[in-house]
Amino acid sequence: MPVFKTPFNGYSVKFSPFYENRLAVGTAQNFGILGNGRLHVLELSPEPSLPIAEVAAFDTADGVYDVAWSESHESIVVAAVADGSVKLYDLALPPSQNPIRSFHEHSREVHSADYNPVRRDSFLSSSWDDSVKLWTLDRPTSLRTFREHAYCVYSAVWNPRHADVFASASGDCTLRVWDVREPSSTIILPAHDFEILACDWNKYDDCLISTASVDKSVKVWDIRSFRVPLCVLNGHSYAVRKLKFSPHVRNLIVSCSYDMTVCVWDFMLEDALLSRYDHHTEFAVGVDFSVLVEGLLASTGWDELVYVWQHGTDPRAP
Amino acid sequence: MASQSQSPPTPTVADENLANQGSEVVQPTNVDQQNAREEPAKQSSTTSVFVNSQPMREEQVQNAVKFLSHPKVRGSPVIYRRSFLERKGLTKEEIDEAFRRVPDSSPTVQTSGVNQDGQLKSSPNIQQQSQQQTLQPSLPAAGVNTYTGTLSRSRFHWSHALIAVGLLAASGAGTAIIFKNSILPRLKSWVRKVVLDNDDEQLKKTDNKPTLMEEAAQAAKSAAAAAADVAKTSQEMLASKAEERKYFVEVVGLLDKQVQEMKLMTNAIRRLEGQEELRISQTSSKQLIVNDKADYDTRSVRSSSPPVSVEPSSGLHPKSYMEIMAMVQRGERTSNNRPWEVGQVQNTSTQMLQSQVHGEDLNTKAQSIPQLNGDDPLPWWQRKNVRIREIDNENEYNGVPYAASSSQQPVQQPVQRAWVPPQPPPIVMAEAAEAIRRPKPVIQKDQVSENQSVSHSSDGSDDMHSVPKLLESEGAVEGISVNSVPSSGEIQEEHEIKYDEK
Repeated sequence: MPVFKTPFNGYSVKFSPFYENRLAVGTAQNFGILGNGRLHVLELSPEPSLPIAEVAAFDTADGVYDVAWSESHESIVVAAVADGSVKLYDLALPPSQNPIRSFHEHSREVHSADYNPVRRDSFLSSSWDDSVKLWTLDRPTSLRTFREHAYCVYSAVWNPRHADVFASASGDCTLRVWDVREPSSTIILPAHDFEILACDWNKYDDCLISTASVDKSVKVWDIRSFRVPLCVLNGHSYAVRKLKFSPHVRNLIVSCSYDMTVCVWDFMLEDALLSRYDHHTEFAVGVDFSVLVEGLLASTGWDELVYVWQHGTDPRAP
Repeated sequence: MASQSQSPPTPTVADENLANQGSEVVQPTNVDQQNAREEPAKQSSTTSVFVNSQPMREEQVQNAVKFLSHPKVRGSPVIYRRSFLERKGLTKEEIDEAFRRVPDSSPTVQTSGVNQDGQLKSSPNIQQQSQQQTLQPSLPAAGVNTYTGTLSRSRFHWSHALIAVGLLAASGAGTAIIFKNSILPRLKSWVRKVVLDNDDEQLKKTDNKPTLMEEAAQAAKSAAAAAADVAKTSQEMLASKAEERKYFVEVVGLLDKQVQEMKLMTNAIRRLEGQEELRISQTSSKQLIVNDKADYDTRSVRSSSPPVSVEPSSGLHPKSYMEIMAMVQRGERTSNNRPWEVGQVQNTSTQMLQSQVHGEDLNTKAQSIPQLNGDDPLPWWQRKNVRIREIDNENEYNGVPYAASSSQQPVQQPVQRAWVPPQPPPIVMAEAAEAIRRPKPVIQKDQVSENQSVSHSSDGSDDMHSVPKLLESEGAVEGISVNSVPSSGEIQEEHEIKYDEK
């Protein structure tokens, strides 16, 4: 399985919705504490024996905490940068003209970026300044700011089916469901007793949300009855940093954690943990399911490695 | 509450929930929670799905009201209150309702979060926000973990009051106790002062003095004890010094005696020398015997400076130490027929006398030592002599090969009689030290020169120190050597070092 070594510590990896062999990796120097960052665009070779090739790389003044592919343009990448800016990069343009946009409205680090898969015209950015901002590619300023959380917003994810609904996970231990048309959040879900680091919508059931928290658990909620979680997935030994629902299988969740493992779960089963990959030697902070290739996983961590492998296989196998 | 979420109609999916929507609109104030929860759970519009369509739970709202009414909570930022209630699982509607019911609390954060573009919402929201716009001084409300109602507030008051009363009582009792303990004695003393005013200057002093006097007495006692200790130690020192002086005096006396005897011996020697040739044959047998004995004690005998008794006792059995020495010396002389040795012996004798004259003290002391041995068979004396003899033996060994080379070594032999204690150790140590330092043939010369220098030095310097050191301990012999060597040996060594280094 191909492995890519990044010069900086990896923070996020996302598969391109247009090219099945393309992925974007956001990295930050010095574990993201201080220093520069770099956005890599990698290309998998058809033969797994060949290493991953780097199509483009863009340097940033601060760490890149998250990346998001545009759903409207195949060459545009959104980068959430630690200096509070949201940058747009166009791969089709030479590096000198990149980034094509730099939105600087957040007062603190931008922790996540997510592109609207339904409307394909807007994207969200969530920041440590307790706010979530809505942007479009052409406007120089944000469309909306959602400020209700009492602490850092670690993740804002669009609902894959409903164009205007998104969920935000925050350090104030609540998950909020928003409707862009509403002025304020519609559902407040006290999902965990500790900070919620990630959330994701189920691709097949639009009412299911999963949350990953510092309390090492992954909980799956039904928005319609959110008093009690649908199920609680325990298995990580440290905080769960990122999680993703599979776009191909209804019940699959992949999560990565500070215990350096990537776990795949089936939350409908009694024994939910399907597989655990411990290929990383540092915090595993980024994971993604490929939309175009079923079962293709990518993960990155602070050990400066990007792994791409098929679910069920060994990521470190040559 | 619920209406705000459902006001914008949107194309949705499910049908069954339309009816529920209508019921939801009716139900915001529905107290029947179960129905409210279950039925609208399945909703039609997408917005409703993602909206908390459950009606407000009155119990939760009331708890929230109590919470917000708490004085501590009043002082906290609104955002903390909201987030606390949210963490407790209240829906937005419930929170808003609670805020609405508690008039002076103001969730202003919502207003600040209102978007730039986008749709302003229905009036209830705005009304609520406008009503709740008064800010209050901020205090962290995170500490409040429980819903506290009015009753609990009063209870808090009561409990607070009780605790306060208890604390006051305890503090009062404590202060009273402290007062009793500390002030009473003062009062008593004061009373005494007042009552015994006339005569009481002294009494006061005595009252005060007992404490002062006691302290002074104690101090004086300790000082006296210390002084006594010091005096004792000084007395001991003096006594020891006196003893040492006595010893010195005794040694001086003995040395004087030995000097006299030595003089007699010289006279006798001269006479004997005149008579040697006649007595050669006569003393041949004696020589053998003496030699045998000399073998047993040659070195010691040779090294020691036996003041040859004037009595040329023919008795083979030495009655006294001195007699043996005398006989041995005779044997030596008889054995040493060589002219130069004879002459050296003569010279040595004269030199010995001279050296002895120079260092009478050591001579007397050294001679006194064997005499003391004979007189007072103290173990450590004897051990010392033995050791000295041994060292002398070693010196003899060393000295023998150089007998031919150095003219002074035979001189040292008789000289060593008196100087036995001090000299040999230094020489030995010097040799060892030099051997360690410079593994070169220069050592021999150094040794020879040092031997000479040491002898002179030992004669002239540290006389007083060397003997008492010998007297003190056996082990100090070596120490003495080391000490005596540095005086001269170091100088030489330094020169030699410089020489070598250069």
